[in-house]
Amino acid sequence: MAVQVVNVRRPAATFSSAKPWLAILKGMWVSTRHFLGNLGLFLRGRQDFAIHFPEQRLVQPPALRGMPVLARMADGKERCVACGLCEWACPTSCITIYPAETADEVERYPEIFDIDMSRCMFCGLCEEACPEEAIIMSRQLEIASYTRAGSLWHKADLLVPVEQLKTRTDYIRRNYER
Amino acid sequence: MSAEKPGDSAAAAPELSPLLKTALERLGDRVLEHHSARGDDRIHVARESILETARILRDDPELSFDLLLDVTAIDYLGQPDDFETKLRVWDRNSASMRRQPQRRHELVLPPRGPHPRFAVVYHLTSTKRAHRLRIKCRLPEDDPKIASLTPLWPAANWLERETWDLYGIVFEGHPDPRRIYLYEEFVGHPLRKDYAKQGEQPIQEYVGPGAKEPRRPH
Amino acid sequence: MSDPERKNPAAPIEGNNAAALEELHTPPMRLQFGPSHPATHGTVKITLDLEGERVVWSDVEVGYLHRGFEKECETGYYYQNIPYTDRLNYSSPILNNTGYCMAVEKLFGIATPERCNHIRVIGGELSRMADHMLCIGASAMELAAFTPMLYLIEGRELLLDMIDSLCGGRVTTNFVRIGGISADMPENFPEFARPRLDRALKLFEDADKLLTENPVFRRRMEGTGYLSSEDLIAWGVTGPMLRAGGVPYDIRRVHPYLVYGELDFDVPVGRHSDNFDRYLVRLEEFRQSRRMILQCLDRMPGGPVDADDPRVRWPGKGRVFNRMEELIDQFKLVTEGGMPPAGEVYHAVEAANGELGFYIVSDGTGKPWKCRCRAPSFSNISPLAKMITGGQLADVVPTFGMINMIGGECDR
Ligand code: SF4
Ligand code: SF4
Repeated sequence: MAVQVVNVRRPAATFSSAKPWLAILKGMWVSTRHFLGNLGLFLRGRQDFAIHFPEQRLVQPPALRGMPVLARMADGKERCVACGLCEWACPTSCITIYPAETADEVERYPEIFDIDMSRCMFCGLCEEACPEEAIIMSRQLEIASYTRAGSLWHKADLLVPVEQLKTRTDYIRRNYER
Repeated sequence: MSAEKPGDSAAAAPELSPLLKTALERLGDRVLEHHSARGDDRIHVARESILETARILRDDPELSFDLLLDVTAIDYLGQPDDFETKLRVWDRNSASMRRQPQRRHELVLPPRGPHPRFAVVYHLTSTKRAHRLRIKCRLPEDDPKIASLTPLWPAANWLERETWDLYGIVFEGHPDPRRIYLYEEFVGHPLRKDYAKQGEQPIQEYVGPGAKEPRRPH
Repeated sequence: MSDPERKNPAAPIEGNNAAALEELHTPPMRLQFGPSHPATHGTVKITLDLEGERVVWSDVEVGYLHRGFEKECETGYYYQNIPYTDRLNYSSPILNNTGYCMAVEKLFGIATPERCNHIRVIGGELSRMADHMLCIGASAMELAAFTPMLYLIEGRELLLDMIDSLCGGRVTTNFVRIGGISADMPENFPEFARPRLDRALKLFEDADKLLTENPVFRRRMEGTGYLSSEDLIAWGVTGPMLRAGGVPYDIRRVHPYLVYGELDFDVPVGRHSDNFDRYLVRLEEFRQSRRMILQCLDRMPGGPVDADDPRVRWPGKGRVFNRMEELIDQFKLVTEGGMPPAGEVYHAVEAANGELGFYIVSDGTGKPWKCRCRAPSFSNISPLAKMITGGQLADVVPTFGMINMIGGECDR
């Protein structure tokens, strides 16, 4: 084990107390250097000092967990079979599902699928629990609304075409054969 | 994963960890039970002897438990006994295994058991020797009192206030027995198992300066 | 250190010198410092009795952020509590995730694979670096040094970017799982991380240059907030504060866990036990954390990131889709939680502020009977009243800043 205990070195007190101006000059040099560096970048046209939000967006990594959404298949139906695992796994109990029967091959579908976004904490446990890859953490982060009722998202609002979720599905499929 | 049954410490003597061996030597019959599982050592003492025990553990040069890490309590409401001394094997038919997973926000009160309801738990460590020890004291429900460890470690001050606040354990001789997280008018102790998670508190009237003035309507 | 006046024991207000006070016409003034004060980063109320600028009595009240973490844990399955641990010390969440999950793993008796351990160390040390940056930056800002704060926040953003690319959240990481981690690190992570670590170190060095030799900063930090090493131990203080008092108690050294036993790193200790030493210890720990991350990136072994233990780790999705047994397993694990054997464990990790311990009592069901978090901030802030009483009012701010009390963790 190569763990050593070392004493921290305290810079000699005499230096700064005898020549405080020297320390202050040094500090000013550091901030001047930053200023000049940034000025140079600015003159050369670097634009990313600030992200002007609605027009520009931050580049997010593929791992990003945004709000949970439901995958919509090509035929316009949801992939969800209303098994209720996501509802069960959710720590904040913010998912509400009312299952119903359908004549399709899958036999069940959610009649009502609500997520209360004011309680959701974007933890991603619902996505991990789902056995159908039907609920997926999207890249959507803008979920503000003017009313409280607006933060209750219903099935129709939550359905997103599955092609749009490709970044995330590619990411989670990396660990498929764990 | 091996657990000794209380009382057969003699039979299990060869497996004692060095720390427990020293501790048992120093503490003698103050230790009611001792136990090590999963690398954690633990002793049970009677509440009358907690102060003495702690003093010996702290002052003995070979043990030198100088850092009090944690004071907390456990509410064993309705449980047959301590989970670890009666270590149950994987038995799907035992009472607690059969308890169905409940939906959250529900409170189902189990019946009272014959054993003392509370246990106060202390965690000690030593900054000189790398070892840890857990001390447990069982306290009955109708008289949850134990001596405060503040004379030995000032660290116990806040930790015991917290335990009083959340479990209602009375620490005798505590210099400052106030609640620490909750307000003084709070009714009950929220970490007890019979306090519902969604339990509501009575609304407190403000009785300070300016109390008579009309409140702004919400 | 040089001023003996400061260490004088507090004079009681109603005591012997009440008459003297009256003669001087300076009745002590009661000052409510907090709960939300611009010069403190943390929600805590300090009641001070001032005699001129001198603090003669003080009382510290915590609990403004109490959310019932332990009660919440008792009603959730083991896996459901991991996101709640993010919210304990919200400036270094991965360390909390690791502490909780390792405690549960100890209960189950699970060993995690090497690759998982390395990634946990990387995530944890990134969190520790971010935490120290925030602590130093915020404390410097409270002492009116605004520029270092900007540099450190910029550096912290780089670290948070890395955490973000690991787990998809900047501060709500929810990264570690019982018996593994939520996802393997991205393939390009080493190439992504190295330049960012260098840039963060450069910004950190700049802040160091601005602060360490600055006479104003030094005079406010040196000699303030003194507590002898015996007192530190007696008050249960751990972490950088204890090490600044000269006690080399670091759990990564004393009880090595994960891969810390195999890494090269130094444990910095101080000598003077004042705020400036606490600051210096944090500076050095930042560099050591970076060293550990680079070592882990170099050593990174291949292999799986999840323990192969069907009691806790949910099966991979590919198998859930195609195989009946795994589907049933998934249903059982989600609706019952993993069921550990009955018993109790205490496991501690070295969090950014000290020993973060989880004491879990299991009754054999999927929910913990009790889940206690031994929060370092809570014990670290308990001697605050002792540290500031007898000192100057202006010393409260650096002392509080260097304790780095995090409300979420202290009040739980
Ligand atoms: S992300 Fe977490 S909190 Fe939100 S719905 Fe899914 S499980 Fe619930
Ligand atoms: S877990 Fe998946 S399939 Fe089951 S109800 Fe939730 S979204 Fe639908």
